[in-house]
Amino acid sequence: MRTKQLAVRPLTPTLSPEYEGEGDKTDLRSDRGDAPRLRRVRVPAMNAVNPRPLIMDALLHAENLDFSYGDHPVLRGVTLHLAPGEIVALLGPNGSGKSTLLRCLFGNLAATGAILWEGKPLPAWRRRDLAKRVAYLAQSPAWEPEQRVADVLRMGRAPYLQAFGIESPKDIEVIGQVAAALAITDLLDRPLHTLSGGQRQVVFLGRCLAQEPRALLLDEPNTFLDLRHQVDLGRRLKDLASRQGIAVLMASHDLNLAGMFADRLLLLENGKIVADGPPTEVLRPELLSRVYGLPMERVEPADGKVYVFPKIDAEGERETGPET
Amino acid sequence: MLQAAPKLEFSVRRWGAARLLLTLAGAFVLWAVVAALCLCVGSTGEIGWPADPGVRAIRLEVVLLSSMVGASLAAAGVVYQAILRNPLADPYLLGVSSGASLLAYVWRFPFVAAIAGSLFAVVSQQVCAFVGAMAAISLVLLLSTRRGRLEPVTLVLVGVIVNALNGSLFLLLNARFPEVTAAAGGAVAFLVGGIQTTTLLPRQEYAAALIAGVGWIVLLYLSGQLNVATLGEAEAEALGTRIQRLRWAALIVASIITAAAVSVSGPIGFVGLICPHVARMIVGSDQRRLLPWSTGIGAALLAAADAATRILAGRPAVNTLLPVGVLTALLGAPFFLQLLWQRGARIES
Repeated sequence: MRTKQLAVRPLTPTLSPEYEGEGDKTDLRSDRGDAPRLRRVRVPAMNAVNPRPLIMDALLHAENLDFSYGDHPVLRGVTLHLAPGEIVALLGPNGSGKSTLLRCLFGNLAATGAILWEGKPLPAWRRRDLAKRVAYLAQSPAWEPEQRVADVLRMGRAPYLQAFGIESPKDIEVIGQVAAALAITDLLDRPLHTLSGGQRQVVFLGRCLAQEPRALLLDEPNTFLDLRHQVDLGRRLKDLASRQGIAVLMASHDLNLAGMFADRLLLLENGKIVADGPPTEVLRPELLSRVYGLPMERVEPADGKVYVFPKIDAEGERETGPET
Repeated sequence: MLQAAPKLEFSVRRWGAARLLLTLAGAFVLWAVVAALCLCVGSTGEIGWPADPGVRAIRLEVVLLSSMVGASLAAAGVVYQAILRNPLADPYLLGVSSGASLLAYVWRFPFVAAIAGSLFAVVSQQVCAFVGAMAAISLVLLLSTRRGRLEPVTLVLVGVIVNALNGSLFLLLNARFPEVTAAAGGAVAFLVGGIQTTTLLPRQEYAAALIAGVGWIVLLYLSGQLNVATLGEAEAEALGTRIQRLRWAALIVASIITAAAVSVSGPIGFVGLICPHVARMIVGSDQRRLLPWSTGIGAALLAAADAATRILAGRPAVNTLLPVGVLTALLGAPFFLQLLWQRGARIES
């Protein structure tokens, strides 16, 4: 059994190879704990609903998720998967279930259905161990004005802390690496209230990265960012995905930005996934018009990308979509 | 230990065992210095190291007791503020003091005292106060919980309601049976709060100190997670914290040490609110540093305030030993206002 596991091991993308051993040690505590970190998962059911490869390098498999607030259903039969190094954008109007879905995926909300991280069902994960694999950025992260950037980053090490909150040298090392990677080393001593909204968002992303995650779940990370910071963030995520194999699942309202940076788009409508595919497939005007309740127009410049815009007939204010 | 780490070009110092011990030692020294000075202050207005062993023993008891109460309240204040995510929270917010006061008062009714006395020989005003405090916090937790989940906003609202209820019950009983409060050393003395060693047995003091000490170590153990508790619930869970379990554990332990303090001293105001803020101004918002420093500051502050009542007692203008609760409230109220204004200014800007 062990050799079999070792054989699939090399698939694992790692941010920090030296951490591996330690993680396995803690894993041994749970009965299913010595499952491989990442393994090929056969999901026969996937074939019926989704014409995708049967065997995949699964980081996350979520199948048939249902969730409701009281008797108001929010998610209905959502199935999705996430592979290492993949950037997936979660689109849909307000109230379509994007945030709820993200929160279900790491167990903050309890959905019915199956959620498997690295092949292991969500309930079998110790919360602390899951936090070493999966990081989450809330739509409006909580912060205290006087708190220093370094303290925010070290919170990302919470799943690694020992009793009495003792940190290991590794914790500080990772904080340093994350700060350097995000170019916020200069800001480490600054209180949060002296930072711009864009800088703060980078710091919160840093807190997520300090968890050394395999997957990032981001809830509208662009909310507080100006155009340049939005593009910067997109590039940064792209870089993390391609270089460190981190998978990104992010809720977004910006269809075009999502189309620019994501490998795959998921479109949610009333808690159901109505489209799942590359941007060119999902950004179809007739589909988006229906989901968003707004006439849409598509533009395809020569670069192979697609852009969609709402058709607005405001008197003289704007043309009906850009003509470029 | 710190030297072994590679030279880092950034300014994040590792929170290792050495730094934890150093922090504990620093907070302890701060308290020890203040406490030693307090030992030199007598209630007759005399200043100087007590030569008479009897006097020394009495002062030592007073200083240690006020330090223990101050430390417990200040530590519980840190935890309440973190868990309730509210900088204006104090350890009495969830009913501990009002519950203690009510039951300490009820204990004074002759028939209650008779029943309690016949049931358990050990039931004293202190035990009643402790039970009252725990009953009130239990009621608040019970009424706030939704399927085992605690939400800060609900907790605070229910706490306010239970406090108001306890207060009105007290006033109702007081209006109906005024003779009970009128008795010497009656419930009013407990209500104001003060360090009165004469009414305490050594075993009551030891019991309170033991409860507070053990509880404090548990809080220190949890202090790393307390940082995460200041975040939103989803974020805290994503960082690997079982936030509901943490809320339950931290609030219950903080309430127990508050109850231990209140049962020996009565509710002494503002210490649990101010000390965490003073500590935060000095050492920042990391709960792992905040808890030891706030504890040390609380112990020193209440010991000093109590010594101040002894100095004032020697002045002709006062000429009586004021309950220390009066003094802390007098000092605390302006501080609290300033805190509100500061916060208001920051929100507006």
